[in-house]
Amino acid sequence: MVSDITASKPLKTEDMIINMGPQHPATHGVLRMVLTLDGERVRHAEAVIGHLHRAQEWQGQNRTWFQYQALIDRVDYLSGMFTSWAMSRAAENLEDLVVPERAEWLRVMVSEMNRISSHLLWLGTYLIDLGAMFGFPFYPFREREKLLDLFEEIAGQRMMFNYIRIGGVQRDPKPEWFSRVRAFCKEFPDRVTEYESIVTDNPIFLKRTKGIGILPLDLAMDFGVTGPTLRASGNPLDLRKTSPYSVYPKIDFQVHTLDKPEGGDTWDRYILRIREMRESTRIIEQCLDMITEGPIMGKKQIAGMRVKAGEGFSAIESPRGILGCYIISDGSDKAYRFRWRNPSFCNLAVVGELLIGHPIADIMAIFGSVDVILPDVDR
Amino acid sequence: MIPNAPEIGKLAFIIAFWICAIFLPVWAVSWAVGVFLPMIIEGQNPGPELALVADILRTATPILSVLVFIPLNAMFMVLYERRALALFTVRMGPNRVGPDGLLQTAADAVKLLLKEDITPRGADAVIFTLAPIVFFAPSIIGILPILAAITNNHPLFAITNLPTGIFFVLASASIPLVALVMAGWSSNNKYSLVGGLRAAAQAISYEIPLVLSLVTVCLMAGTLDVVKIAQQQDGGFLNWNILGGGALRGLDAAIATALKNQDWAPVIQAFYPYGAASFVAAIVLIFCSHILLGLYLTGACAEINRIPFDLPEAESELVSGYNTEYSGMKFAIFFLAEFTNLFIVSCIATVMFFGGGDNPFPQWFLDQLPLAGIQAGLGSALSFLINDMRLVDPDTFWAAIWVIIKVYSLVFFAILIRGTLPRFRIDQLMDFGWKRLVPLSLIAFLLVVFARVLVVSHGY
Repeated sequence: MVSDITASKPLKTEDMIINMGPQHPATHGVLRMVLTLDGERVRHAEAVIGHLHRAQEWQGQNRTWFQYQALIDRVDYLSGMFTSWAMSRAAENLEDLVVPERAEWLRVMVSEMNRISSHLLWLGTYLIDLGAMFGFPFYPFREREKLLDLFEEIAGQRMMFNYIRIGGVQRDPKPEWFSRVRAFCKEFPDRVTEYESIVTDNPIFLKRTKGIGILPLDLAMDFGVTGPTLRASGNPLDLRKTSPYSVYPKIDFQVHTLDKPEGGDTWDRYILRIREMRESTRIIEQCLDMITEGPIMGKKQIAGMRVKAGEGFSAIESPRGILGCYIISDGSDKAYRFRWRNPSFCNLAVVGELLIGHPIADIMAIFGSVDVILPDVDR
Repeated sequence: MIPNAPEIGKLAFIIAFWICAIFLPVWAVSWAVGVFLPMIIEGQNPGPELALVADILRTATPILSVLVFIPLNAMFMVLYERRALALFTVRMGPNRVGPDGLLQTAADAVKLLLKEDITPRGADAVIFTLAPIVFFAPSIIGILPILAAITNNHPLFAITNLPTGIFFVLASASIPLVALVMAGWSSNNKYSLVGGLRAAAQAISYEIPLVLSLVTVCLMAGTLDVVKIAQQQDGGFLNWNILGGGALRGLDAAIATALKNQDWAPVIQAFYPYGAASFVAAIVLIFCSHILLGLYLTGACAEINRIPFDLPEAESELVSGYNTEYSGMKFAIFFLAEFTNLFIVSCIATVMFFGGGDNPFPQWFLDQLPLAGIQAGLGSALSFLINDMRLVDPDTFWAAIWVIIKVYSLVFFAILIRGTLPRFRIDQLMDFGWKRLVPLSLIAFLLVVFARVLVVSHGY
């Protein structure tokens, strides 16, 4: 009898399939993840995208250039400056248009400010993902608010700027604006130190992030991961340095990368973004010093604006990675074909690989650390 | 100076307003039911039946006052938490309903009561309905023995005292766990299920350090009776259990006498009978009692599912955990019970570590102040209220004031933690509980056992 009991079959267990999202509070919008769980461990994860598909490319082909310029910030609503810059550069490459130098300085400035504001939002929401629901997340928003005020002053909008246009920028800021930006840059590194004093060495934060979601460099390269996520894994690919555009060659800045043979974990991705915020502050300060006087617009902005026939491509370094825009124009007032290369799309693809073997709680720690913006994935 | 002084002022105003709004009704109800009505009945020279009614009224007083207290207290705590968190996080907090948002949670409560009560398809309706009740009921029962301790054993509340009070409180505090599993299981939702199971795992793990820390305090005090534990700590903060459970008891007075007489022998004789060993033991006791407080607060945070141990309802992972599917009144009851539990664990900490209703000032300090005169003056001025109407019992009144201050300060501490820390992961939580807290509590227990023998002579 005893041997019967001991020889009985092992306890039968079954995997649980859980459908995370699209209405889950922590999926940053409307991602749906189909998780196969063994207890609390993830066996298999599959991201289902498309819930936020707005046919941005199709819209680009059915709106005039002038109209689509205003729509372009919605592709990645946290870094609107970058999306409009990518599109403007593609059109300028197509036309061989020379952008006035002052406009280039302003573009670098506002996009670096946008990079900071995007990273700040990431920092706040990432801490929410880790469960610091009420305390810390509001501190980054305090600084982000100041940046949004600055954006509002130059662009009239706080998120959908429509500031960078084909041929230049929309408006020349007043002199006081520059001094306010300088004041922000002076204060901001101290604020970053403040965040770091709360977060970086927090024992619970370290426990939740160190060694979690390690992304080996070859896996990252296979999936086309770019941006801070790739740099945290050891590849110093940053278009601002590797294929410099605009006035970046004149600016002295450093591309941070973490050289870890086994690949970057979530903490590495966190610290890399913190360093990038400091670096961006340096870039803005240099822009303030080196900015030249002159015109800001090299193309007439009219409703029936046309771009001459041909094809053009541009890739820039957005806060999430390489953002590419490919345009075919037939010379009319609408584009013939639009194609976006969105960093979030490629970065999201690798998340499914990273999650395997981790418990449920790490899903958000890993997914958050890759910094995926769903509208950027679905367009 | 202080950059957000106006906000702090508003928070102080809210606290003052709501504490009055909580305790005046509680006071009125307990006086009316426990004192005034029996007084009228007995004034009529009643027969045995009516006398029985008067007795029943007196006996029902504690539970009625608790029933008045719990909803009001939860309303206050929600607002308190939201405003204090806003203060920590450079925000305004709710400030629209009523002056400075005073009535925000009252409006929220009305909203919750009027909401549709949904039972999801496929849910086990009976268990689904029972879960909030099973969750809430123990918090009413569990607060009762503490009532006697925090009202300084007032005659009306003395019946709630039990010789094994702390045991009873802990036993009733572990029932809500069953309700969480019930809620998770019956909701027909996988997030709820995971939340319920997490709650079970977490509560079982963290109850051990929690109970061991309180058992160690009982060991220092030599009794399980919360009223006795509170009374033993009377006479200033040196006697509180947080300072070694009586390791410093009476030392201030003895040192004063010794200074006057220039004779230290009696002090050493009385307080350090084994010489240096006793001195070391006293220091060990003080050290251990701080560790015990830390263990208790950690375990209590886990027990009532607050950040950093709010895994059963981890919003970013499990949507809302076991209460995902609850709405309206049932959700309100979960909410109510959670904040009541926070109040109860703060009460237990106050009674077990911070002297209950004792004021923090030592007796020799109070003797410097002209308190006796003031008290006598007030006593004669309010003689009608105190002696004839029995509206106020001065001892109970002052005990209640100190308890309110201590308990809401501990609640503030819990809010501060909530505003600071991220959440543990479930396996890390288990590691932390079993590999750190349980051994630590056992070590503290053993240290206290040996140290207490060496300083026992001036104990209880």
